[in-house]
Amino acid sequence: MSNKTMTFNPNANKDIFSKINLFVQTHTALMALIIAVVLYVVTIIINPRGLNTVAIGNIILLTIILSIPAAGQTMVLIGGGMDFSVGAVMSSTAVLTTYTMRGENGHFITVLLLSLVIGAAVGLLNGVCCVKIGLPAMIVTMAISNIVTRMQYILTQGILSGKASPLFSASVKSKIFGVIPMIVIYAIIVWPIVFYLLKRSRFGKQLYMVGNNSGAARLNGVRVTKIQIMSYVFSGMLAAFAGMLGAAYMSTARCQIFDDYAYMSLIAVIIGGTTFAGGSGTYEGSIAGSLVMVLLSNLLTTLNPTQPVRNVLNAAILILLLVLYNRGKAVRQ
Amino acid sequence: MLEMKGIDKRFGAVVALNKASLTVQDGQIAALAGSNGSGKSTMVKVLAGLVAPNAGEIFIDGEKKIIHSGTDAARENIATAFQDLSLIPTMSVKDNILLGCEICTKSGMVDEKTSRKQVQELLDRFHIDCDPDDYVQTLMPSTQSMLEVAKAVFRKPKILLLDEVTASLHYDEIETLFGIMRELKAEGISMVYVTHRMNEIFEICDTITIMRSSETVISGQVSEFTLDDIIYYMTGSRPKHAKAKESDLSHLDDREVVVNVKDISVYPKVKDISMKAYKGEIVGIGGLEGQGQPEVIRAILGAVKPQSGSIEFMGKPVKFKDPAAGVKAGIGFISGDRNKEAIFDVRTIAENIFAGNSAKESLFAYLSARKVRQFSEDAVKKYNIKIGKLKDPASSLSGGNQQKLVVARWIAMNPNLLLLDDPTKGVDIHSRQEIHEILRECAANGMTIIISASDTEELLNISDRIYVFYEGKVAAELAGETKTAEHLVSAMMGVQESGGKEAAE
Repeated sequence: MSNKTMTFNPNANKDIFSKINLFVQTHTALMALIIAVVLYVVTIIINPRGLNTVAIGNIILLTIILSIPAAGQTMVLIGGGMDFSVGAVMSSTAVLTTYTMRGENGHFITVLLLSLVIGAAVGLLNGVCCVKIGLPAMIVTMAISNIVTRMQYILTQGILSGKASPLFSASVKSKIFGVIPMIVIYAIIVWPIVFYLLKRSRFGKQLYMVGNNSGAARLNGVRVTKIQIMSYVFSGMLAAFAGMLGAAYMSTARCQIFDDYAYMSLIAVIIGGTTFAGGSGTYEGSIAGSLVMVLLSNLLTTLNPTQPVRNVLNAAILILLLVLYNRGKAVRQ
Repeated sequence: MLEMKGIDKRFGAVVALNKASLTVQDGQIAALAGSNGSGKSTMVKVLAGLVAPNAGEIFIDGEKKIIHSGTDAARENIATAFQDLSLIPTMSVKDNILLGCEICTKSGMVDEKTSRKQVQELLDRFHIDCDPDDYVQTLMPSTQSMLEVAKAVFRKPKILLLDEVTASLHYDEIETLFGIMRELKAEGISMVYVTHRMNEIFEICDTITIMRSSETVISGQVSEFTLDDIIYYMTGSRPKHAKAKESDLSHLDDREVVVNVKDISVYPKVKDISMKAYKGEIVGIGGLEGQGQPEVIRAILGAVKPQSGSIEFMGKPVKFKDPAAGVKAGIGFISGDRNKEAIFDVRTIAENIFAGNSAKESLFAYLSARKVRQFSEDAVKKYNIKIGKLKDPASSLSGGNQQKLVVARWIAMNPNLLLLDDPTKGVDIHSRQEIHEILRECAANGMTIIISASDTEELLNISDRIYVFYEGKVAAELAGETKTAEHLVSAMMGVQESGGKEAAE
């Protein structure tokens, strides 16, 4: 009898752990949100003055900007690829925006169309090289982003030039009720499109199938190459649009201004529960992951360490987060 | 003596083993039988050290042992031949066999000469016809299976675990294997033998342990059991001895030809194959493994391009550039290689069932969540698939249920032509019967079905007409009176005979 209870207790404990584990793995978006809340609470405890409308507005604004390239990154990762060129595309369209608008109103449509074409073209190039030719995504997208970056210098000679139009800037930065930045309007347009693509269209279903098991997807009648290339094209276009919004927020844009967004979007997406292996992940997770990234940077600003210390802390916390829940899935063999 | 007592294992919410037990005496071969998902393979993996049980004890010769890794198992002299092979495809036969037990000289260098000699002896003993330097990936699946067993035996185990090793073996290879098993038995080695083939249990095993839904139901001497008993304990119901229904072939020539394959060749396996399938007919493709069956099926689907010959589908010549084109034209494909070619393991059960529909129709049209749910709910109910929740990942299902899910995926799309490539490989007898019933019903409703199967009995049961492939050609076409096991087997072996109708018309 006593023997039985001996062996039973540790099992009961293990059950709780495995349940928590299961919960974490099935509610990745919620977990990212919980981490975001913890980060914010810590920030406020350290610096209670941080709790003000300007700071909150900024958090919303930066999260939305990051959530847009993260949308493309989510799609590409689900399809089994990776897109390191989103940062370079964002910088390019940001530079293009200020360069073309020159602080005047009335160029929005031109810039929008031009940016989307550039984004789509870069995405197509990425897609063709990675999927059709079969080169490793990480190297190809980095190489292509290098080309894209050099284009910025050719256009501007490296000189800070132009300015986003006042109207466009206002449509991003001005506050509703003094708190919520106008950029939410863009989120209201973009987010539902992304959700629609991933959850309510056969494109989304096929993308998940391709990422999970491309051989099975092919024999099932999915055009694997086409779907994967499309994910890169969407990623390029979303990054292009995000670059415009970034230019509106910053008003001016130097070359390579948003290059960091390449790895930031990747980490945001991973924190949100999308896996490198492909076939799983959600956009709500990526949005929550974007929030985590912004709040983390916010926390580090509050601590105000020197730049190198800041980088070390940033990296350490990110590695911790990634280790915490990008572990292998519990698979019944 | 090996004893496993009260073994529990859970994967998340899924119970794989529930107080399961197994006893094997020295020098005995113990059969471990059960439907798919009953926990046989998990038992083997517990012993092999691949799966750590949540509870339970293992005794070897009365001594309690803890086996938590492959190294632990090797220390206890347990060797395993796995169902899904533990060979490394990009390494040579010799290196695979010696992996982890390399033979060294006194100075610690690998003893090339002795290794080569011992490996060659082992290959000879198993009648494996290959060079020690051949890469494993270039070998036929049956040779690889044989090699897997040879590799385990090379480790000179006291306990040998054989997990469905005969699934892809040919008749003569099985005989060789059984001969070796008898020798090992005489040496006092205990063996655990997992199989779906009932006749093998009666032929080679001393004792039998039957598992059902993660529990050990009964064990005893094989001689005390009849086939019906075993199936009863495995499934919980007595088998029906239903005779396969013969389709009416009298109006064959009046019927619409759905597929007409003419003289196709696909390098290197398919040399010259012609075959026809009529509307509402179940056409079987038989033959030993590697005679070109999968290639022909994939050529019809558009997954591989034939070098020569033509294919007509629904009366029109077609050249599908990829499977997507074939699917669009009304073809469905069900593979027996679930993991590689059919199941999306991290996606939900609902999405898996809906996958056929997802691949069709316009990419960006609105797709309501309700439609997906309704579609999959209907299929689960209609085809009696045992699932937890529709939102669970497909990996939570057992092999048989996964296969039913794939079948349901395509049947629900109601294709004109359904292609099945060995769909019931490794599927338990119960699910297999259910899949057969579904296929018969579909054929009765006018669906054309082409099915290849490695199991001759299954092929005879399900097919109206059988094409037997031998060395990339049609060796015989069997229908009606010629559709017998004798004709089928002799045609498979390439024996010319007068009974079968001449193949190419």
